[in-house]
Amino acid sequence: MESDWGSPRFVAEHFHRWYEENARTIPAPSEIRSREFAFLQFGGKTMFRHIGFSDESSFRRYLYENGPAHSYHSSSYYQHPEGDMAGKGWIGADLVFDIDADHFDLPCQHEHDKWKCRSCGANGTGKSPEVCGCGKAAFEEESWLCEHCLQAAKHETQKLLDILVQDFGFSPSSELVVNFSGNRGYHVHVRNKRTRNLDQSGRREIVDYILGTGIKPEYLGFNPRAKGGRSTLAEEGWRGRAGRALYDFIASSQPEEIKKLKLGRKITRLLIEERDKVLAILEEGHPSMLLKAVGVGDEERLMADLSRLMEIAVKEQAADIDTVVTTDIHRLIRLSNTLHGKTGWQVQTIQLDSLPDYDPITSAIAFKSGEAKIYVRHAPKIRIADTEYGPYTQEVAMVPLAVAMFLLCKKGARIEQ
Amino acid sequence: MRHSNAIGGNLFSTDAPERLKDMLEREAAKYPFLTEAAKLVDALNLQLDDLTDPTYKKVLDRATERVVQAIEDGTIDERLDDVLTELLSFPVAVMFVTIKDEPFLSRRYALAEAVRVYFLLQGEERDKLAQIARDSFGWDLKDSGERYDGVLHDFRLHFNDYLRSSSSFHEDKWKLVNRIVKNGYVLLTQREVARLIQGEVETLIKEQVSKTVKINLPEPLQRCLERISKVFDENRQRLGGEDLPSEVTNEAFPPCIRYCMEGLLAGRRASHMERFALTSFLVTIGMPLNNLVDLYTSVTDFDPAMTQYQVEHIAGVRGNRTKYTPPLCDTLRTHGICRNKDDICERVKHPLSYYRIKAKRLAYQRPQKQP
Repeated sequence: MESDWGSPRFVAEHFHRWYEENARTIPAPSEIRSREFAFLQFGGKTMFRHIGFSDESSFRRYLYENGPAHSYHSSSYYQHPEGDMAGKGWIGADLVFDIDADHFDLPCQHEHDKWKCRSCGANGTGKSPEVCGCGKAAFEEESWLCEHCLQAAKHETQKLLDILVQDFGFSPSSELVVNFSGNRGYHVHVRNKRTRNLDQSGRREIVDYILGTGIKPEYLGFNPRAKGGRSTLAEEGWRGRAGRALYDFIASSQPEEIKKLKLGRKITRLLIEERDKVLAILEEGHPSMLLKAVGVGDEERLMADLSRLMEIAVKEQAADIDTVVTTDIHRLIRLSNTLHGKTGWQVQTIQLDSLPDYDPITSAIAFKSGEAKIYVRHAPKIRIADTEYGPYTQEVAMVPLAVAMFLLCKKGARIEQ
Repeated sequence: MRHSNAIGGNLFSTDAPERLKDMLEREAAKYPFLTEAAKLVDALNLQLDDLTDPTYKKVLDRATERVVQAIEDGTIDERLDDVLTELLSFPVAVMFVTIKDEPFLSRRYALAEAVRVYFLLQGEERDKLAQIARDSFGWDLKDSGERYDGVLHDFRLHFNDYLRSSSSFHEDKWKLVNRIVKNGYVLLTQREVARLIQGEVETLIKEQVSKTVKINLPEPLQRCLERISKVFDENRQRLGGEDLPSEVTNEAFPPCIRYCMEGLLAGRRASHMERFALTSFLVTIGMPLNNLVDLYTSVTDFDPAMTQYQVEHIAGVRGNRTKYTPPLCDTLRTHGICRNKDDICERVKHPLSYYRIKAKRLAYQRPQKQP
């Protein structure tokens, strides 16, 4: 009874009940009349989209009556949100960022994620390979989440917010909205009138800025022709960030890691044998001093090496955002305070100053009371609120409703009659 | 230039001080795309038929020359000896380019006018530069004076204005990530501000010449247009604005497209962006849609009907009928698809340009390799 996994009817009923109680407290997104809305029902495959609401009460009524599995609104503003794509009349779009631990490479994924090749049956833990050993590339995948994934996503979100506030000058109190996505990550919305009309190429530049894509050391002080100046480590923007990234990378890399980069002979020797001297230069002198320390020679090669080094080093300072979400100016994104049909958790808006202490698996739990008896086919260990549950393998368990909903939404269990 | 029937109006009221009038005209001749200049021209209320009058021969000649210089030299000389001719020839030149309706000419003309402005701007005082930027383009530009690596940065510009005005620049130094960005503003030298105004001018003129106009030109103007067409046809090939090869040449694919293609053939899961890049590329270079659908469905378990639908959508036979062109190199880089760059990659901004150049190279080499 493969189709029974997840017991959609049971889950849908609880979603319905939850919305009946809570719909009246869910705030509509800003400028509701210009937004498109979209919803997915349990068991349904088509998305109901091109929906518009004239006010908050009709929006809440929809949630109350339908209890959707997934709820979205457009980051864009339209003249006619209910029209088809050609007739909508695009006015502008919030700048949005999506941070999803699913895109990260984390050690914990090997503990809770699995894959199996559909053709040859080969399997493993973590993410599936690009192509299986048998030459095919179709996999069955099981992906879960844990505190570590969520922590990693939060860390990236904080780096993103730092860049948005310090470099882009957005006001943390009035222009930035941070949402826990209800699953493995966070969404950041920028509500600023000026950035609304940015086109795709402008948004792409912002994505490149945040990821450090295309960064060139010669524009950040690492220029043999630069005259004078201090160390950049304490500076703002990418000048400081890139300097610090390079510093940290050199300070923490083992000689083998540096050799693996296959840089020029001189620079490799300097980074390995005179590491302390290099670090001291970065700490006390202008970045161009580093180039002088390597000495004259093939300048083009040296800059190429430095570029490569920088590209790798900046990853730690960059914030790992999804490139497609931010550049898409017609994006649908999850509605704040609604439920996520793949976890049973709530999408939550978090005050920026409380983000460091925010714990989604305590705060975003929607189904707070009741119990359910479930049969779990497979689930790794998971903490919900303060208690750990599982791991489970083909067993019956009596668990709090919050746990049952999570395992059901993840399709790892079904209701045991 | 209005193409209506009204006639009348004077350029200046007679009591305007002579010196002010000269100055205004001179400024307008330098920067004829600015609102003030357009107002001066509008006040003249010139009609198309007026231009057939021999008194306007100089204007027609200079207008033709503007476009011809744009085609041949990529820039337009910044002479100011006859300011009224300079001023009036601009809207006439714009009209010629608009009627010609060749995207390549439009781009080249807009760039040439913009480069002319860049040269003029370099001779301007700091304050004049800032005034044009603020008043004519509405930039949020503030004074600065910070020195980095020994270079004085006179100005700081809000990143939003920066991104718009630099959107056609592709050198590394203009990438936002390589700029000093603080608290919402990008630090700039005076020279860089002039260059960014060039970017704005280019966009503005591109918009002006991209409107669709159908006018039957009176005889002397028609002759000007014929001369422009002749020069354009003569230079087209040299300037690389020519068409794509007539046959699909697999060996000329750029490395990014090759990467997407090989991935597809190996059955690797492709991201949406990869599939879009590949499909739009193949459609644009002329691969028949059916071959494309066959290609997709033969190597993967894609549903043929769905694949057909998506391919047709990208090709513009469905949906909103937009025919999608492949993304720019910059976009492919953002999404991690730009790989294995080679020497041609360093010269181009678009995968199609790569394809054009490589195909030409192959065509040139091929006969020599024949035994």
